[in-house]
Amino acid sequence: MSIAPPAPPARLRGALAAGAPALAVGAAVVLLWQLLVTATGVQSFILPSPTDIFGALLDELPTILRDARVTLAAVLLGMALGGVSGLLGALLLTRLGRISGPLLTVAVILNCAPVVALAPIANNWLGVTSIWSKACVAGLMVFFPVLVNTTRGLRDVDTLHLELMSALAARPRHTLLLVRLPRSLPFFFNGLRLGAAASVIGVIVSEYFGGPSQALGVYIANQAALSRFAETWAGVLAASVMGLALFAVVAGCESRLVPWQRHRHDGDT
Amino acid sequence: MTAPATTTPRGTAAMTATDDAPAISLTDVHKVFPASGGQSVAALERIGLDVRPGAFVSLLGPSGCGKSTLLRIIADLTAPTTGTVTVGGRSAREARLARDYGLVFQQAGLLDWRTVRRNVELPLQVGGVSRAERKAQAETMLDLVRLGDVADRFPWQLSGGMQQRVAIARALACRPQLLLMDEPLGALDEMTREYLQGELLRIWRDTGTTVVFVTHSVSEAVFLSTDIVIMSPRPGRITRRIEVGLPQPRTVEDRTSPAYFETVTEVRKALHAVMAEEPA
Repeated sequence: MSIAPPAPPARLRGALAAGAPALAVGAAVVLLWQLLVTATGVQSFILPSPTDIFGALLDELPTILRDARVTLAAVLLGMALGGVSGLLGALLLTRLGRISGPLLTVAVILNCAPVVALAPIANNWLGVTSIWSKACVAGLMVFFPVLVNTTRGLRDVDTLHLELMSALAARPRHTLLLVRLPRSLPFFFNGLRLGAAASVIGVIVSEYFGGPSQALGVYIANQAALSRFAETWAGVLAASVMGLALFAVVAGCESRLVPWQRHRHDGDT
Repeated sequence: MTAPATTTPRGTAAMTATDDAPAISLTDVHKVFPASGGQSVAALERIGLDVRPGAFVSLLGPSGCGKSTLLRIIADLTAPTTGTVTVGGRSAREARLARDYGLVFQQAGLLDWRTVRRNVELPLQVGGVSRAERKAQAETMLDLVRLGDVADRFPWQLSGGMQQRVAIARALACRPQLLLMDEPLGALDEMTREYLQGELLRIWRDTGTTVVFVTHSVSEAVFLSTDIVIMSPRPGRITRRIEVGLPQPRTVEDRTSPAYFETVTEVRKALHAVMAEEPA
């Protein structure tokens, strides 16, 4: 590409410049939405206007924040479970030799399955009000992308580096810790970023099927049942913000822990 | 641990023990690679080679003559089909396990996630050297390749030539008796290449290391080497061994001396003779 990579100090400005068009488009959509609702006089139970939704969000903020905290705990627990087990699974998979290929194929196929459909079953097994039934669904949704990506990273090692380690008479433990694991970190984070968004979906949908009385998914489902649609949308908005924030946190950790990869992306653009 | 000689400076005691023994000795080495359809390709045939301690030996030949394979056999990264290889008086495998040699490839092969210093520390870390000692040792080596000021940068922040100097520092980190280099300057531009040739000679003189250097550049081989081993392709054989009589220490001026051009011509003729044998 002809676009020069931005120098490090310009990176923040570059990010803002890249984000500005998206923000402008978002603002335009909200404005259009508002105009459409007022112009057509569509009834609020079909589509509330953005001002209605923001109003509801402000009114309900204490409740929404309280409920979101319960949901966030399940999401974080799910990400931790899925992230750790995905990483351990990938390490195990690379040690299994010949059967690791077919196993990875199975994992890729399962990765395509709608894991969230398991939510009622998880509720049945682990208890509707238990955090574990939610975290379990979220964890599974994180597990597969982390497993598949990290395994790819553990294998995507430069043969030159392997020869170097061999010339240094390195033990397999050294090669794993000093070469394979660091090499797979960007892949792990890629999986975790995908998992962060999926984790929120997993917990919210799981809560639709029943959950503790204070949870964002339960709140959304209840407001919808009561035909309080502005409040329902406000809950959806809060869930979206949570997903975005988690994605940003993971991306932030990634650029801190994997600076060489960020450099590579810069070089690519 | 087998003392990585971090505390014993290279020198008298170690040298006298192996003084008359060759640094490398290859006897009747053959290498056959299996090829498609049950056939096999002879990559190396009847290789016999002795390298004396402290020599700078270039393996020179057209591509496909097996010079890299020969280097990999010395490094015990691949095994000969038949024949014996000794490095510093022990088998190639024992030498590798004892980290007796340093290895430099055409690509620097640095680890992106480690700083320059930590890249140089890698062989010491694998060898179980303590943190403080490895840091000191890495800094010594970075000073040797004149990169002390970029120790805390990352490889991707350096030019190709600097990366290759880091790779040389890494190869020297365990203070090996032997440095094996597989076209280490092949990927660099002409100016950087000539500069690093000079640096390499200086490092060779400063450390007293034996060097085996794979190249397909005649001028590079003549300027650097004490001995040039000329190889023929398919199957790879050693056809001639030429001692380079240029005075030591060599300087940039030697590149324009009549003796230099005479040797270059002699080597060229030997290479042409090799190519003439080829039915290609």
